[in-house]
Amino acid sequence: MNFKRTFAVTKRVFRDIKNDKRTIALMFIAPIFAMFVFGVAFSGDVTNVNVIIVNHDQGLQTPNGTISLSNNIISNLNTSVLNIQYMDDENAAVNQVEDGKDYAVIIFPENFTKNAYLGLTNPSSGLNTQITIRDDESIPNIKTAIQGNVASAITTTIQNQGIKSPVSINFDAIYGQNAQFIDFFVPGIMAFVVFLLTTLLTLLAFVGERTSGTLGRLLSTPLQESEIVSGYAIAFGIIGTMQAAFLLIVAILVFKIMVVGNVLLAFLVIALLAIVSQALGILLSSLAKREGQAVQFIPFIILPVFLLSGIFWPIQAIPTWLRPFSYLVPPTYAVDANRAVFLKGWGLDKIWPDILALIIFAVIFLLLAILYLKRRSD
Amino acid sequence: MTLENEYAILTSQLVKNYGDFKAVNNLNLKVKTGEIYGLLGPNGAGKTTTIKLLCNLTKPISGNMYLLGKKVPDRSVASDIGYMPQETALYDGLSVYQNMSFFGEIYGLSKEKIKDRVNELLKFINLEKWRNELVGNLSGGMKHRVSLVCTLIHEPRILFLDEPTVGVDPELRVSFWNYFHQLKLMDITILITTHYMDEAQRCDRVGFMKNGELIAEGQPNAILRESKTDSLEDAFLKFSSVELVL
Repeated sequence: MNFKRTFAVTKRVFRDIKNDKRTIALMFIAPIFAMFVFGVAFSGDVTNVNVIIVNHDQGLQTPNGTISLSNNIISNLNTSVLNIQYMDDENAAVNQVEDGKDYAVIIFPENFTKNAYLGLTNPSSGLNTQITIRDDESIPNIKTAIQGNVASAITTTIQNQGIKSPVSINFDAIYGQNAQFIDFFVPGIMAFVVFLLTTLLTLLAFVGERTSGTLGRLLSTPLQESEIVSGYAIAFGIIGTMQAAFLLIVAILVFKIMVVGNVLLAFLVIALLAIVSQALGILLSSLAKREGQAVQFIPFIILPVFLLSGIFWPIQAIPTWLRPFSYLVPPTYAVDANRAVFLKGWGLDKIWPDILALIIFAVIFLLLAILYLKRRSD
Repeated sequence: MTLENEYAILTSQLVKNYGDFKAVNNLNLKVKTGEIYGLLGPNGAGKTTTIKLLCNLTKPISGNMYLLGKKVPDRSVASDIGYMPQETALYDGLSVYQNMSFFGEIYGLSKEKIKDRVNELLKFINLEKWRNELVGNLSGGMKHRVSLVCTLIHEPRILFLDEPTVGVDPELRVSFWNYFHQLKLMDITILITTHYMDEAQRCDRVGFMKNGELIAEGQPNAILRESKTDSLEDAFLKFSSVELVL
């Protein structure tokens, strides 16, 4: 090996980088960006989960006043994890969970305190000292957070009271009974894969169109800018749907994932996401002069979506102040809608806000992509 | 007849800057229908920018442009022009036929028309055997030939050819120019940029560009006579210091 020749190659690489200020900037910004996003977003702890408490317990009258075991348990719930709301109507509370506004209803039955103490004095009485949790179990982290928190509050209360009460919890899943992590994961990964690949493919394809001169040739023809963008949108909408279908078939056959709802609705969501993504790819292509620069966008495309859109862990596991940013990332809506279709069996009547959000993103991004082409950047 | 109707290509006081750099500076260009007009000049003289302005690929700072009597930019003119960029500007992942067919479809040609035009044009560039070959697998010269026929597929009335013969072997260059003269007989107007002076002599008129300005123009022989030089290269050097319209 000739050191001089080797060194010449090394020197050439550094000279190349030195002449490309964007590359230098990205080489330093990308790692800091990655560290920042991971460090801030990936706390892992679930917080601010909306739950409803329906307390039918009247407490127990004693010569020293009223004792309420249910209120004691409630006071021991961790309010940073659970965002508690109180309701009297059990059915209305369950409807809130069915509509996706809350994750669980925690129900204390009538005579809960009385029966707990009677059960304590007479264990064989079989009196009802059971708390019922009717919850949405489609997101494992949230399910664990709710159930763990209630169990912990019971243990703490009972230890404080110095009793051995036969209080138990009855879990009644409204959605996602027996759902595993893979059931939660697949609808998210479908959105992630389609978003990532479509954005990257369009970005590279469009930089290629510009550097090869085909874009110039196209723009000199009667073809309108809106026709170019729409043509790409249709193609990538179809490709995205095919990718999603292929992924779903494998997930069903190999991982036997839970599919409660209509998968065609999920495909519609994915097709919309693909259209949003391709328009984003065209927009990003305006910032890259060649393919090498386009590739440098990858961390900036992947990381925010990876961390903020609820693909790998729920949005409730992201710090509260960062959550609004999740709603600026289009895949958030696709992940939410897909999960609702797969695990809850929701239809268009319930996932329309997600679809509307994706349509708004699509319209804005497509218009911006058309404007970019009309601008005739030199 | 108004001036813009008299000429197939007309520009007046056309200006285009890139930052502080004046790419095209007060350009007044007049090209008659059926004329082959060659734009000559060193790199950066403004030849390509002029073509890009006329093809609506970049916007002028000021000035007016007319093609076939219509003020451009005008979408309705796009079907009447054919633009061949310096780059081969083809889809490497498509075959020769698929590339030609794609551009034919964009211009709204019927399937039958596309088929006929592809057969006719592939025969002309002698690439019939390569019809189904991916463009990415072709040599540079072959790609240039395909690029030219993609520009011609819709039978445009004005052709903008930006260095169309770069990388093309001498024999084929001759056949290219013979074909351009056939097109001229059909009243097709051609604005061409080239570095080859022998090609420039086959133009009806040539214009010398320098620093975005037209410093001299006229028939090649008239330019040689006036400059008292033997070649257009020498004539250009002579006119570089003195502007002249013949």
